[in-house]
Amino acid sequence: MRARLILPLGGIGLAVTAATLAAQVPPPFAGRALFQARCAGCHNDGAFGTKVLSRRANPAVLDQRQDLNAVMVRIVVRRGIGQMPAIRRAELGDAELDSIAAYLQKEQSK
Amino acid sequence: MTGPSPAQFAQAMTAFARVVGAANVATSEEDRAGYWDAFSPADDPAAGAPQGAVAPASVEEVQAVVRIANERRIPLWPISRGKNFGYGGAAPRIPGVVMLDLIRMDRIIEVNADHGYVILEPGVGFDQLFRHLVDNKIPLWMSAPAHTWGSVLGNALERGVGYTPYGEHASKICGMEIVLADGSLMRTGMGAMPGSRTGPLFPYGFGPQWDGAFAQSNYGIVTKMGLWLMPEPESTLELRMQLSRVEDLGPAVDALRPLKLAGVVQANPSFGNVIRGLATRATRSTYWQGTGPMPPEALEAARKQAGIGHWNFSVRLFGDEKINEINAAKVRAAFAAKVPDEFKESRWHKGEDLRGSGSPTPTLNALGVVDWLGGRGAHLTFSPVSAFTGVEAMKQYRTVRGLFESHGFDYYGGFTAGQRYLNHITMIVFDRDDDKQRASANALFDKLIDTAAANGWGEYRTHTLWYDKVAKSYSYNNNALLRFNERVKDAVDPNGIIAPGRMGIWPRAYRQGKGK
Repeated sequence: MRARLILPLGGIGLAVTAATLAAQVPPPFAGRALFQARCAGCHNDGAFGTKVLSRRANPAVLDQRQDLNAVMVRIVVRRGIGQMPAIRRAELGDAELDSIAAYLQKEQSK
Repeated sequence: MTGPSPAQFAQAMTAFARVVGAANVATSEEDRAGYWDAFSPADDPAAGAPQGAVAPASVEEVQAVVRIANERRIPLWPISRGKNFGYGGAAPRIPGVVMLDLIRMDRIIEVNADHGYVILEPGVGFDQLFRHLVDNKIPLWMSAPAHTWGSVLGNALERGVGYTPYGEHASKICGMEIVLADGSLMRTGMGAMPGSRTGPLFPYGFGPQWDGAFAQSNYGIVTKMGLWLMPEPESTLELRMQLSRVEDLGPAVDALRPLKLAGVVQANPSFGNVIRGLATRATRSTYWQGTGPMPPEALEAARKQAGIGHWNFSVRLFGDEKINEINAAKVRAAFAAKVPDEFKESRWHKGEDLRGSGSPTPTLNALGVVDWLGGRGAHLTFSPVSAFTGVEAMKQYRTVRGLFESHGFDYYGGFTAGQRYLNHITMIVFDRDDDKQRASANALFDKLIDTAAANGWGEYRTHTLWYDKVAKSYSYNNNALLRFNERVKDAVDPNGIIAPGRMGIWPRAYRQGKGK
């Protein structure tokens, strides 16, 4: 299950619903798995969002960045930024977004 | 039309919350803003925000929500996943509606490999369907548009286009379940007969065939759809060509037409122009640093730098390897007689990595077009249909490109082949932070619709903000078609609560202020 979530054909696994993930993935992995499932389509290495961000961030892959905090992630996801459309609550619930935001912030402390 | 008062609206939202749970009703400014068009060309996208949103998870919840809305005259704007980018995204035609957000209805109800169909709900995305088929080793392929974030059902209702032999998505619809404006539930075709097993197999049923009436309309809310999927082929054979001369679009179109008509080529080849090829590779400044549309010499240099043609396309054959080889010989011969460039070829066989097979694997890279100018980009999609001839395609191309360039934009476009027509899909890419450019984009869109109509070219689909203008361009006999559409609307939704104004179809109560 975990392998399927992390690298489904080029890293895009939007197929898996957030609710399914939250139920099946142990908490320490939930944020990472959710990021891969819901964000990596644009934010993996070589993807569109990474290409845009590479003009002003290094590294540009979000979960390699050291400068993200959870509050900022939540705001950006809900409001959209630059070329990124907002992701609404019906698509990505608050609990799932919190998990992703915590994962991205956690990366910062590594 | 005066909408519900704030108190009536608040009471309705409370009633909706009792149906779907408070967590699935949204009224905050942030939640409402989530439904704006992310790529809006409007001066103030916020002005088009809905009053709120309700997100049911089942057909019973949809029915209950619609009953409440109908009793209280609350206009609803249904969306499947809301990823109709370039055509208005999730945004409603008018402010003050409540979004009926169906993204939580994401069940794949049945996939039948023996008969080649899926029954699914509006929230199912192309990525989800792809994973379901692959993970369960189901030997069926979906067809998908350029990006795979959106809804399978929603895209078929919009008559979206893909690139497999099943790429004319609307024609693969077979049976629907629909919630009507009074909250009642209807199934079309054979699905109307209890116990029938042929709902997703025989599209017509008995009497009028209604599936088509619920595509690009506002007559009901489609909560389930049967959709045909193609059997996984034994092999595919791709022939790719780059046309090194702009004017060779015409001969190439003429080479393809008899192949499509005869069924030698069953998929939908798409002739994409040089800007379409460049835009997903890098920003414009990589190739040229001037202002205004790139001049011909800059385009020629850029295409050579990127290693692409003025037009780029692939003809992919699906099926038995030997038959593909026979058909490939026909394709080679047809094009060799018309254009000087040659095909590059690649082959895929069942069991190999699906990337490169022609099966649409998940991707969002097509959204990269909005990065062409390097700022806060956006795109508006103008999509007239062309007759399938080189002369007509070239005329439409030159006319549309001329208008793009006279308004300061690079022409981004492509002609995607149906069996007897071409969908000419063009995009105006603009910078949202440049007021002048945004105004030019709006003026260009108006001019394109007028010029197209004067030439007899109609759009197959359009942006929310231009529904009325395009609907009116189908003006035969004093807009007889639009008037009929509105008579139907008044009959099936007398209170006008479902998507008022969608596709230019306004309910009676709204018609006085229509188009304003």
